[in-house]
Amino acid sequence: MLTIIIRSIIIYLIVLLVFRLMGKRQLGQMQPFELVLTLIIADLATIPMAEVSVPVLHGVVPLLTLVVLHFVLTLISRSSQFVSKIISGKPVIIVNPKGIDYQAMKKLNLSTDDIFEALRGAGYFSISDVQYAIMETNGKVSVMPKASAAPVTNEDLKTQAEDSFLPIVLVSDGKIIKENIALAGVSQEEVTAIVKENSNTKNNSIKDVLLLTINKTGQAYLQMKKGEGLSFQSKRLVSE
Amino acid sequence: MKLFHYINFIIIVLLLIAICITEELVVSNSLKEIQTRCYEIEMTLAGTDDLLNMDMTMQIDNLEYVWKEDEAAMCFLVNHKNIQEIGQEIAKLKLYIASNDIDAFRVSLEEIKFYCHSYLHFMGANLHNVL
Repeated sequence: MLTIIIRSIIIYLIVLLVFRLMGKRQLGQMQPFELVLTLIIADLATIPMAEVSVPVLHGVVPLLTLVVLHFVLTLISRSSQFVSKIISGKPVIIVNPKGIDYQAMKKLNLSTDDIFEALRGAGYFSISDVQYAIMETNGKVSVMPKASAAPVTNEDLKTQAEDSFLPIVLVSDGKIIKENIALAGVSQEEVTAIVKENSNTKNNSIKDVLLLTINKTGQAYLQMKKGEGLSFQSKRLVSE
Repeated sequence: MKLFHYINFIIIVLLLIAICITEELVVSNSLKEIQTRCYEIEMTLAGTDDLLNMDMTMQIDNLEYVWKEDEAAMCFLVNHKNIQEIGQEIAKLKLYIASNDIDAFRVSLEEIKFYCHSYLHFMGANLHNVL
């Protein structure tokens, strides 16, 4: 049994490495060939894990071969549009200004329910709000709404809006994130002072903080583990 | 694509090539060595009807020693089920010497040769194996 445990750990680490080498894509973002590789990898990994008579190398070699194959296919599909179309397919317009493209729908083996589900997922509940809907090669549907249904932007209203800045997480779950405070250009003492000044509870040490974020303009958000979240303007400006 | 990915790719390809070459060298050489020793035992067997002689015992001991040395390395590369049969047959040879059972000894020797031959054929990259 100990052998199986050790083998499982080895295979797990190798599969983890294989997926890291393949990139960070999620299941829904995969191209068809990547999905196929993922399914094969999952199956391959279980064989040497459970079957003690099979050498671990018999699982590792196919896994590494698939990584090489994935690399080669990615390289080819990036360098050639033609090969890319063969391997990954091409985006297909399923809804156009005239309505649902029945031919495209049949070609992709979709039902009207599938199309409606995808549109609802994109935030459009009526097909009359949709100008174009495109089925991407990874299976996701991108929707371009009609002008009447598109969200209003500051540009439409001809108003000036300030750019927003990315908040930096300084404290998370009672722990100061040293990397981020260095990035923000504040010291640990300053972080402690911000918490003490703005905490709305009795317990106001760093370990009582659930979340503290701050952005370039000094706009901060503090939530203690016991208490409500609080947005405030900090006097301490951070550099981004 | 980043340089890092290319380096990874090259390392993996080299690793796969190294594994293939190692398998070819280790497994092929070991099995061929066992086959050769079996032929030598057969030659010795041809000149006698009696297994209870020093020469035969020494040859089987040598065969067992060579096999045990190679088996450890082969376990990394070959399905253990495929090679344990060779080990079992070698162990049987010693028993047959003790009981002076020459017919069973011959059968076991043939089986060892057969297992070596079939695995050598099995590991080759040819159309039969690929398909």
